[in-house]
Amino acid sequence: MTVSYVIAAGHAQVGDLVATARILSERVIGLVVGPETVARQVAQAGLDQVLWLGQPGQSALEAFAPAVAEIVRAQPGHVLAGRRSADRVLLGAAAAAIDALLVVGPTELAAEGDLTLVTAPVNGGLALSTVAFSGPLACLLDGGPVPDGPAGPIQSASGPLAEIGLVSLQPAASQTVDVAAAPRVVGIGGGLKSAQDLGLVEALAQSLNAALGCSRPVAEGLGWLPKERYIGLSGAHIAPQLYVAVGISGQLQHMAGCRQSETIVAINIDPEAPIMAQADYVLPGDLYQIVPALTRALA
Amino acid sequence: MSFELTDEQLITRDAVRQFADSTVAPIAAEIDRDHRAPLENLPAMAELGLLGMTVPEELGGSGSGTVSYVIAVEELARRCASHAVIVEAHSSLCCWPIVAFGNPEQHQAYLPDLAGGAKIGAFCLTEPGAGTDAASLTSSARRDGDQWVLNGQKVFITNGGFADVFVVFARTDPEAPSAKGISAFIVDRQTAGLTVGDPERKLGIRGSSTTPVSFSDLRLPATSLLGREGQGFAIAMRTLDGGRTGIAAQALGIAQGAYETAVAYAKERIQFGRPIANLQAIQWMIADMATDLEAGRLLCYQAADLEERHLDFAIQASMAKLFCAPMSVRVASSAIQVLGGVGYTESYPVERAYRDAKITEIYEGTNEVQRLVISKSQLR
Amino acid sequence: MTIAVAYKWAPEAQEASVDAAGRVDFSRAKDKISDYDAVAIQVGRRLADATGQALVGVTVSGPQAGQPVATKAALARGLDSVLVLAEEGLDRIGPSATASLLAGLVRQLDDVSLVLAGDSSTDVGARMTATLLAGRLGWACLTDVEQLDWSGSDWSITRTQTWGVETFKVTGPAVLALSPTAAAVKAPGMKDILAAGKKPVRPVALTDLGLERPDQGETRATARLTGPSRQGVVIDVSDPDAAAAVLVAALRQSGLLVEGSQE
Repeated sequence: MTVSYVIAAGHAQVGDLVATARILSERVIGLVVGPETVARQVAQAGLDQVLWLGQPGQSALEAFAPAVAEIVRAQPGHVLAGRRSADRVLLGAAAAAIDALLVVGPTELAAEGDLTLVTAPVNGGLALSTVAFSGPLACLLDGGPVPDGPAGPIQSASGPLAEIGLVSLQPAASQTVDVAAAPRVVGIGGGLKSAQDLGLVEALAQSLNAALGCSRPVAEGLGWLPKERYIGLSGAHIAPQLYVAVGISGQLQHMAGCRQSETIVAINIDPEAPIMAQADYVLPGDLYQIVPALTRALA
Repeated sequence: MSFELTDEQLITRDAVRQFADSTVAPIAAEIDRDHRAPLENLPAMAELGLLGMTVPEELGGSGSGTVSYVIAVEELARRCASHAVIVEAHSSLCCWPIVAFGNPEQHQAYLPDLAGGAKIGAFCLTEPGAGTDAASLTSSARRDGDQWVLNGQKVFITNGGFADVFVVFARTDPEAPSAKGISAFIVDRQTAGLTVGDPERKLGIRGSSTTPVSFSDLRLPATSLLGREGQGFAIAMRTLDGGRTGIAAQALGIAQGAYETAVAYAKERIQFGRPIANLQAIQWMIADMATDLEAGRLLCYQAADLEERHLDFAIQASMAKLFCAPMSVRVASSAIQVLGGVGYTESYPVERAYRDAKITEIYEGTNEVQRLVISKSQLR
Repeated sequence: MTIAVAYKWAPEAQEASVDAAGRVDFSRAKDKISDYDAVAIQVGRRLADATGQALVGVTVSGPQAGQPVATKAALARGLDSVLVLAEEGLDRIGPSATASLLAGLVRQLDDVSLVLAGDSSTDVGARMTATLLAGRLGWACLTDVEQLDWSGSDWSITRTQTWGVETFKVTGPAVLALSPTAAAVKAPGMKDILAAGKKPVRPVALTDLGLERPDQGETRATARLTGPSRQGVVIDVSDPDAAAAVLVAALRQSGLLVEGSQE
């Protein structure tokens, strides 16, 4: 493919998308939906062309899906987008328009003649698979900030819109915790004996300035934390700088959601727990002693 | 010959398991600790249709068939034996005899409400002086014009604390030989003269309400008679035949729940540097428990299948209960043994399973009564 | 008018295992209607009843999805009928292929007002099937939908994003992916289970749809997914406070404890 598209819907987190697109093709075009300020930020990412489709106004960002599809259909290429809701909808529309193959979180990309070799996690991150595909790819991957660079030109573009009217937007009263976006995360698992003891790990999370997440049983079986805090296969996929796993055994399904963390600390009373072999720092001991000690050490 | 469950039976298992995991399990330990009936779950159980499985569709039930019914009881018991026995006593012991022996007026008057869960049923046979020897019961019903006047004392009535409808057995002919003079009645809780006593404090199934129920000059219309006059003992015995399959299923479910806890624990618990599941002593216990469960399940489902196909099933039901009840005690005991010290504490549900299992060797016919029934059939 | 629900009869990924070569083994995982899809069916039932529409399930998978136990399990949850494409080689196809075939099934239905889907599927987890399906159909699409109602003239849709609670309205046909919080899933009732066997199941073949088997590329290799290599530094915890001091020092040195607010 000679061209790749990077989609940015309402945000400019396209740093890693552009870097990946560069591997796939010579020419990289940004497709931006949202305020002009966002388009300007995207234009600093070193793209060959930035097409600004406009502000949603009283529509959803997702309303631009047909317009994005039309642009991509006119000149097919690889399409890349981040994981936010609107990004996924625009990516889906573009991919369907050109029969692109969806790839989630590719770890390696390489050209082989007319084929692209893609290595990516499959089944929600249970294993890796390498596939050779001849057509365009639709890549869903984590965005990443745009480095400061010289601003490139912005071109306006337009196209058909879907009818999705915004009736109201009630700004979040308090910042909801997004474990997937937090730079530091503390995860709590079945090692915690009772919901009353949550304060122990909350104190640690606070002193680390970290978001508190958990393994699946803590959120879905026991209900000690809301479901959006659950890290794992069908829950949040996190990639923070630091992940402190407390009383989490580290089953495959949990690791699928956290193995991209830069640094993993494991605190577990069972030295044989699977997570102990997958951590940077291993503390084989009682969380009820280690967690308070750690909180004190951070104070 | 096929041992495959039907699609409907498989889906029933999944559905009841989902309900038991999400709604029953979270309160199971608490109702046991507090000796409290889980009344808050009755509306959800009714909505799911768990209270109408033995009632035909045209009378407001689901007519799910006996196999699906025992699977439902088993799945409830896997998480909480008390929930299971509430359904069992209501369905097998109250709904079923009204379906089988009631007239069309009684069907219309009672079954839609019972099947839909608007009313809960109970069964009043046992008396202080008439347990296993039920034919010796002394409660009496005397004709007075177009009414019956009921007097007597019943004990150990499951669902007694909250049931709305009681199937009651009383002597209508004091002259007739013991079993012959008994008749069955349908009694509403509101009837003047009915008193429900304080619930028993029990070893297990503490979430089921077990109370005395007494009748003092309680007046019933003639239309309350269930079946024919003098047919009561036969009705009671036929009802208990079916009930035995339900209790076998309850025993099976208790054992299954305890077994699963033991297997999960054995895989996780590290001793001597490796999971205890690697130790032969544990492996042998798991093998015996699994084999016990398989045998019990085959007997229980076979009895249910015979009943569902309207074949003779009474002996198989007795065999299923005679095998499953002690099996349940045995498996629950082994589960505690696998867990060791923590198995003996309330931290895990296996000690509750052990206490709950014991009653299945006693009610709806003791092990000894089942042996009597079975041996009679063999020595004929 | 019809509301369609895309559902999947698939193994529970929580029960899958992976061998040394990275092959995912679902053999011990039981096939089921995923929890995500159960939410979509339950919301669909409520809306179909409220608006007098039929509720039709559409599914694409291997032959196991066409077995009566699979279709009855879906129907017992409240669908009026199902349209099933269940052929050898179609199990565990990726979201792109699934979406193109689901679009073929939706086109078989008359007068579809909405397609509902779970937010994810139990064995893949990409959260893209609904958006790709919308792309195939050329319809409006919203994901993470928490509340969905018919106002009398349009669909009212509410969802929570990190920046706030958004309410939208959509009139035309749309594909909506439902958040797991959109409904508390109930087990199918005993009467529903028996009624399921009497509801229509319409099997469809790829050839009926005039569709080819989608090109999913050629798999060259599989591997275990291990993530970055780990240092595996074991810290002695015999004195918890000393252990904590060692860890904090190491983290600080790696620049992982830089003060700053969460994003």
